[in-house]
Amino acid sequence: MKMKKLIAALSMVSMLAVAVTGCGSSKDTSADASSDANADTKTEQSGSEWDSSNDITIVSREDGSGTRGAFIELFGIEEKNGDEKIDMTTEEAQITNSTSVMLTTVADNEYAIGYVSLGSLDDSVKAVKIDGAEATAENVKSGTYKVSRPFNIAVKEGLDNEVAKDFINFIMSEEGQSVVEENHYIAIDDVKPFEGTSPSGKAVIGGSSSVSPVMEKLIEAYNKLNPGAELELQTTDSTTGMTSAVDGSYDIGMASRELKDTELSEGLQATVIATDGIAVIMNKNSSVDNLSSEQVKSIYTGEALTWDEVIE
Amino acid sequence: MQGVFFIAACASVLAVALICIFLFANGIPAMKEIGFLKFISGEKWRPNNDIYGVLPMIVGSIYVTAGAIIIGVPIGILTSVFMAMYCPKRIYKPLKAATELLAGIPSVVYGFFGLVVLVPWVRELGITLKQLGITRTSGDGNSMLTASILLGMMILPTIIGVTESAIRSVPPQYYEGALALGATHERSIFRVIIPAAKSGVIAGIVLGIGRAIGETMAVIMVAGNQARMPAGILKGIRTLTANIVMEMGYATDLHREALIATGVVLFVFILIINFSVALLNRRTERE
Repeated sequence: MKMKKLIAALSMVSMLAVAVTGCGSSKDTSADASSDANADTKTEQSGSEWDSSNDITIVSREDGSGTRGAFIELFGIEEKNGDEKIDMTTEEAQITNSTSVMLTTVADNEYAIGYVSLGSLDDSVKAVKIDGAEATAENVKSGTYKVSRPFNIAVKEGLDNEVAKDFINFIMSEEGQSVVEENHYIAIDDVKPFEGTSPSGKAVIGGSSSVSPVMEKLIEAYNKLNPGAELELQTTDSTTGMTSAVDGSYDIGMASRELKDTELSEGLQATVIATDGIAVIMNKNSSVDNLSSEQVKSIYTGEALTWDEVIE
Repeated sequence: MQGVFFIAACASVLAVALICIFLFANGIPAMKEIGFLKFISGEKWRPNNDIYGVLPMIVGSIYVTAGAIIIGVPIGILTSVFMAMYCPKRIYKPLKAATELLAGIPSVVYGFFGLVVLVPWVRELGITLKQLGITRTSGDGNSMLTASILLGMMILPTIIGVTESAIRSVPPQYYEGALALGATHERSIFRVIIPAAKSGVIAGIVLGIGRAIGETMAVIMVAGNQARMPAGILKGIRTLTANIVMEMGYATDLHREALIATGVVLFVFILIINFSVALLNRRTERE
């Protein structure tokens, strides 16, 4: 009996220990787990032949997602009917609300096509060239790769948090924009060197999960310059980011889309902090490397059902 | 001292009341604005154009749940019969532990398992069927069938647990009497014991339905989530729960309220299920 109690106590303690260490380095462990998963899928899929007579698996993001909004607009999948814009994405498209499921689905399915933010692209899938242009930050900047969208931050009018103000100045400075560039996003041009006032205090930043990876890096870089500031990052989504910025629970809200009129009318001021390219991704085994925007459109509107119909 | 217990008891009642108020206060106005019939019977869900019809999701939830019942119930009942009537003591303990563990696995883990194991299987099946000329399109593995199989697995512990205790609570005289009359082992189980445990078995199935209809994370990962009327068992489907979780993140204004209204529809479903469980329990008590 005593033995059992001892074992139970030991296992409880070890679980607690794991929980505590987990809090400290949660980011690292999750990154490891995802790269492991990618490695697994890669070994599974090698060796089979790619047969273009198979059905295309179309993967799309959910309605209202910033990535989807930018994607359908840029490829002309959105059609105007009077004042109304109609999203012509085929109803057969699989819908997912997370980048990681999108990547896993495409990495697993040889006949799938999807799209992710350029910053989230990894080795488990390949990005296809659009109209001959490769999906790289340089090409987005030079304009040859046209599929991109802005990353916004928003603050309430008359924000009186010195730390938040100083941090925004940092983001919009040469130093901040170099962090943006290092992380494969496209920086804003003509920025000045950073002149910080090094205020101490606390600020809460939150919102879009697409923006938060680069925001995390920005916070890291800012903390080196101003260790007195405590910046807290909360990853939720664009809408939560904006509503929380309005009600004051976030000092800075992040959005991976343009702000809605209703949000602007509630006193939010938006600033574009970076541009993000959207990569069209396919399985590594696929023999398709290059698609025209017309072809992408015909896939996503459901005109082409098998890969035969897309590539001659 | 009694007051402390009373307050503790009130907490859960208060939680339910608050959820009800929140749901209905936000959902009903949205339903009115969209038009109640249009909302319930509309076949199109295009939030960007303010077209909100949840019929595809209602039908989707019902189909997926039905699929889970078709797969989970026979396995669940046969398992509990085995555990209650056939199982040698040596196997019983690990078997019981395994079914209990099945209940404890987080649904996102089920979802990931479905995504990397079940989806490729169903996709291969679809491609084979297409090559044989049985179906016109192959589907992509994220389908109604996949979701049904996964949910069928997830409701097993619920069904097994309730059914096993129902079978065990049948007085042993019934079984012995059947044997004495010359019935075989199997015959006495399926003709005497199970009918006697009927209400418990049905309660288990209804609880399983509740679990299946409310499941979100695992379904999202394998069902494809297309917001259109179900088109075949190898095609994707979107359930009510998936609809809410998928779009909540980016929804604003009426779109957001429409999602809460979807929650109201789901809530009504769950109410009906709980009500039928209560009804069944009352009937058992009377018997």
